[in-house]
Amino acid sequence: MKKTSPSSSKAKTKPGAAAADAPSAKARTAPAPAVAKAHKHEGHTAAAAADGQGKYVYCVIHSADPLQFGRIGIGTKPTDVRTINYKDIAAVVSDTPLQVYDATRENVLAHESVNETVMKTHTVIPMSFGTVFKTREDIVELLRSAYDAFLDVLSKMQDKLEFGLKVLWESQEIVRVIEQEEEDIRRLKTELSSQKGSTYFARVQYDRLVAAALEARSERFVKSIMDELSDVSVASRWNKPIGDKMILNAAFLVPRDKEGVFDAKMKEIGVRYSKLNFRYTGPWPPYNFVNIRLKLERAKDAK
Amino acid sequence: MPVERTAGGTSLIDVLDRVLDKGIVIDAWVRVSLVGIDLITVEARVVVASIETYIRYSEAVTQISPVSRPAVEQGHAHDDLVAENASLRAQLAVAKGAGRPPRPRKAARR
Repeated sequence: MKKTSPSSSKAKTKPGAAAADAPSAKARTAPAPAVAKAHKHEGHTAAAAADGQGKYVYCVIHSADPLQFGRIGIGTKPTDVRTINYKDIAAVVSDTPLQVYDATRENVLAHESVNETVMKTHTVIPMSFGTVFKTREDIVELLRSAYDAFLDVLSKMQDKLEFGLKVLWESQEIVRVIEQEEEDIRRLKTELSSQKGSTYFARVQYDRLVAAALEARSERFVKSIMDELSDVSVASRWNKPIGDKMILNAAFLVPRDKEGVFDAKMKEIGVRYSKLNFRYTGPWPPYNFVNIRLKLERAKDAK
Repeated sequence: MPVERTAGGTSLIDVLDRVLDKGIVIDAWVRVSLVGIDLITVEARVVVASIETYIRYSEAVTQISPVSRPAVEQGHAHDDLVAENASLRAQLAVAKGAGRPPRPRKAARR
């Protein structure tokens, strides 16, 4: 599962790629990764990190008991994934060298795969990729400090799953449909093909009408799909579509016991909108519905 | 067109869409919000002895150096990641523009 090729997803990232190339070049000249700075403070926390070991955190769950999830951890060698507990909540972690994890295919899929394993038996609050703490005590402190918030979010996410939906279309195909269905556009098209001399103004008008018709259709499709799926989910979230073929990029939060209903609805919609291409994924940890930002400070006694 | 569901972890692009800046993010303040359900703001500071590793979008991109990648994976994964990162960064820029508070990256990295 980890090695599956996302070949189908490759094409649509291309449009955005060129546009955002400049900031990426800038980023490459950014200062050395945070872990390099860690050495400056090594003296203060030498005892804790003498072995160069840190803890990679995957998610926070509800559990009063220490749990083991097997040797599925991130890193070059498989590591044990287990919990660090505080009261009735726990962080799911594995040992790791103190390092910045590259967002490589292996690493992000390992992060996701642990979350999915844990999710089979627990409600998870996923941690964003690449968070490494130096010591067990720090993680306990994290759980203690944000305990109420974690507990609240865990109870709200209880027995809910996230599903993703991206809807794509081939706009040229839709343009053909529009040309058939919309009187004004059809007439202009005929004029354009029969007209002698300059067709400039007719062409401009045609382009404008087609663009407006495409947008109207996209909005109509999206609204009706969202409306129907909102009826079978408890919450939904819109993300920005990626590339010019995508008209909808959304996430839905669905109660576990409504999964079948949601699934059936999705398939029914797919059959109905035969001109659209649906990319339906999940279940996911509720990444799109949990947004916890934590400020970390160095403790005074750690100097 | 028949719609088939694919499991979460099978598409790198969809994983990256989520794991890089969603969920619990070590950042500059505590802000808990459940999008579409509720919005709770918690002002709290988490004081720990150390937080040493801290990765963000731009840093994630910085880290993608072809030398650190196994040769087999190189072409494919690298291209995918670069393209994906670029498009995600574009999304992020838009999201920021739409009113999300900027991330005080410098303050958070120590």
